[in-house]
Amino acid sequence: MTTYRVVGPAAFRGHQAGEKFDAELDPEQEKRALARGSIKVVNRKPKDQEKEENDA
Amino acid sequence: MPKRVALKDSVEVDSVDLSNFARSVRLTSEHTREDVSGFSATGANEYLAGPTDQSLEVEFYGSYGTGEVHETLYPIHKDRTIVPIAWRPDQTTPASATNPELRGNVQLYTYGPGGTRGDVDTFPVTFNAADAAGLEFFTTPLP
Repeated sequence: MTTYRVVGPAAFRGHQAGEKFDAELDPEQEKRALARGSIKVVNRKPKDQEKEENDA
Repeated sequence: MPKRVALKDSVEVDSVDLSNFARSVRLTSEHTREDVSGFSATGANEYLAGPTDQSLEVEFYGSYGTGEVHETLYPIHKDRTIVPIAWRPDQTTPASATNPELRGNVQLYTYGPGGTRGDVDTFPVTFNAADAAGLEFFTTPLP
């Protein structure tokens, strides 16, 4: 799961500018959104860490 | 179900909320009509519904800021990208039976912004359904 912040003027996936949200975006969609400045990555958990947390 | 004045529609392209940059939206969903008429006593034609062609036409205001209309649409057109689109009548409430949301994956074959001196800069954009799932109305919000 990755945490993003909406930085563009337009809302993204229902989240307003400035808001943070967690999602697993399609890699190509993430690339487009980052390129156009709609969102920024705030925190990306490595897959291993995510699996450990889910197993615990 | 009350009648409505279109004011609060939600239009999302590739998850970007472009509602405020759009002023009209129109779904077209059309099955071809296949003539399967044979000889008959009445001579009446008989038809079957054939393949379906679907598109969503949106009239956008020309806007060239970061993350706005041009920056969202032009790369999609240029790179022939298939992206998700969504439209529902009321952006202030989630999708429901009384606020159904049209969703699907689309491509942008034609992109034609422009301008006329003294006029508000608007242009129509037609999003064509791009895969077998087509454009469909959903009555529950996306997870």
